[in-house]
Amino acid sequence: MVKRMKTDKKKRPIAVSVIAVAIVMLFLIRLYQVYEPLFLNNFFRGGITGPFFTGWHLTALGGTLLSTATYLVLSLAGIFVLIGFLRLRRWSWGLLMAWAGVSLLISLVDYFYSHPNYVVMASNVIIAFALNITDVQRIYGIRRDDGSPL
Amino acid sequence: MALPSDRPSVPFTTSDLDLLRKFEPVACYTRGEQFFPTDVEHYVRECSLWEHHPDGHDELLVRQGEVTLEKLVEPRTAEFGSVRFLRFVESLSLAESAQVLTDQVRLRRQLGEYFHAGIGRLARGGILPRLVDGLFSLSFLLRGKVSAATAAAAELDYNGILSEDRKYTYYGRVTRQGGWTILQYWFFFCFNSWRSGFHGVNDHESDWEMITIYLYEQDGQLTPEWAAYASHDFKGDDLRRRWDDHEELKKAEESHPLIFAGAGSHASYFRMGEYQAEVNPPFAGWFSGLLNALNKIWTGALGQQPINPFHIPFVDFARGDGLRIGPGESQTWSPVLIDESTPWVGKYRGMWGLFARDPISGENAPAGPMYNRDGSPRGSWYDPLGFAGLDKVPPPPQMESLLSNNINQVSQRQQELDILVPQKSTELQKEGARQKAMEGNPHMAKQYVALEKGINTLSAEVRALRREQSENTALLQGLNRRLELIRAGDQDNPRAHIHDLAVPDDPTLVLRFDRAAETWAAVSLSLLLFVVASLIFFAPGYLWASLAVILILFVVLESILRGAFVPTVGRVTLILAMISAVILFLHFWKAIIVVALLTMGISLMYHRLRELAG
Repeated sequence: MVKRMKTDKKKRPIAVSVIAVAIVMLFLIRLYQVYEPLFLNNFFRGGITGPFFTGWHLTALGGTLLSTATYLVLSLAGIFVLIGFLRLRRWSWGLLMAWAGVSLLISLVDYFYSHPNYVVMASNVIIAFALNITDVQRIYGIRRDDGSPL
Repeated sequence: MALPSDRPSVPFTTSDLDLLRKFEPVACYTRGEQFFPTDVEHYVRECSLWEHHPDGHDELLVRQGEVTLEKLVEPRTAEFGSVRFLRFVESLSLAESAQVLTDQVRLRRQLGEYFHAGIGRLARGGILPRLVDGLFSLSFLLRGKVSAATAAAAELDYNGILSEDRKYTYYGRVTRQGGWTILQYWFFFCFNSWRSGFHGVNDHESDWEMITIYLYEQDGQLTPEWAAYASHDFKGDDLRRRWDDHEELKKAEESHPLIFAGAGSHASYFRMGEYQAEVNPPFAGWFSGLLNALNKIWTGALGQQPINPFHIPFVDFARGDGLRIGPGESQTWSPVLIDESTPWVGKYRGMWGLFARDPISGENAPAGPMYNRDGSPRGSWYDPLGFAGLDKVPPPPQMESLLSNNINQVSQRQQELDILVPQKSTELQKEGARQKAMEGNPHMAKQYVALEKGINTLSAEVRALRREQSENTALLQGLNRRLELIRAGDQDNPRAHIHDLAVPDDPTLVLRFDRAAETWAAVSLSLLLFVVASLIFFAPGYLWASLAVILILFVVLESILRGAFVPTVGRVTLILAMISAVILFLHFWKAIIVVALLTMGISLMYHRLRELAG
């Protein structure tokens, strides 16, 4: 009989996989949010057709490019964090929590002032609660083995 | 039980005054302290005596300069709701106030005793506590308070008394209760300058503080076992330390406990340091209930540390780097014996300083050692054992006999149970056999039901006796183990009785960016108000959203200064997630319930089918 060798590898809780799936989903949504306004503004056909600013104010094109750039940064940051997260790095927990926090804040502001993206909001809620699970925090070195915070 | 060799003891016949002197403390004050223990006789001579009537007017009973301890206790009738009080500093005009404030600055320059807060209290709390602190400061506009000029005048007057007769007094009381000999040391101060002098919670004229030492008698000797220090309005087990707990209870010359007094507050601490004294604002009942419910979800369901964002962190500076009074120090005590028969102790129930009409009492002067502010008896006087949670603790020499008595009593009961349990058990089995015999006989149905009732009662009785027997076995084991330990001279953990140990702030645990954090703490609240004003003016349509974003930015920035970025971000995100979850539920509650039911149904079906498949 072949005995399976015990490894020192930390066992990955299911919540980690849930979070990883949520990050990928968010990445795809954000990517769509990057693409959609550019497509609607015929950016791919006509290129940049006007100024970004009139005086101190952003033009419609400027606003579109700003929001597109923000979403691009968020989606790229998501991928960067995902790599660290799957490699069970401590910094990725903090960064992911901050990322979820910023994303939730944007969603909430959107909710009260325009149209929120409920899928993004729900994904971030799942990520935030999943990151708060004691086992997940323990595996990322946020809590001690007895469950107390470090 | 042998006498502990490491403890000082005195013959049982020692006089009360000598007893007090043998164990009198060394009081260590913070540099910059303005008031020290003084004698009441000098103080009352500087006071006037007043009566506050329920209709709101104050009546002068005895003029300043004419009050004596004898006049203080002269019988005077008063209607219900009236308050008698002394007044150390008379009302000051604007010019007089300016004069005393200038004189105070001059006096401090002469004395050369300056207080520096260091990393002050504001930097130790977050932005929300700071906001609540601002409101607390504003509350003084509505509440009665002692003015800064009164505090300055009190300091000048006290220094006048001190220059006339430099002596430091304590009032000692010796009483005996429950096998303990109790030494109480009462300290009287002309003024509590915690708020005006040291950024604390309150100021009031006069201050009474107290520590107690508990001695037991063995072989004709009295030996100290516990010391309890009064600190603010706390009471119970947490106040006392065992004499052999050398880390907590420091001593000079083996028999003189060290007190580290809070600057201005004069609260007594066992260890030198700076203590966080948290004050919770008196919120309305429903709001406190809501906060408690949210905290339950926060700690229970979300597994977070309990938080109270609204507490106001005040620092009690008990640094012990100033004047020291007591044996072996440059300044020593002038002891005065008191008891219930001392006229000013037993007969004067009024306040020992200004009645500031503060509804939450923080700025009103305290009453004397025997009484509370409302004239009712003070617990620490009539029940000095219960005050420090010692009413349930026997003196050590009595412990062995009490344990033996307990063991005898429980053993005796066990012997009774050893006979009773088999007896009752046999009886129950007999009844059971009788009931069995009745089965299959329809004409005996009535008797069967009656017998069943009796059997149930007897069965419950046998179960209770067996439980008692089992519990007694465990109790006897515990009692015997304790007795063995005591006979072997083993002492248990001296801090086992403490639920919430007062610990000074760790001096090595400084903020990450000391000066930046301090500056930020000082300016952040004003900055926030400026930002709110700008938002109202420039972007009123986005006021609430911008305010929320800015508040979060402030909190995160502060967490970086404190070196607590990760936990703070975690907490903030969790709060945002909770709000978002509520919003999502309100919008999609039908879909959420349907999905939950479907998930439960699928899961249930999966498990049942697996069970079926074997």
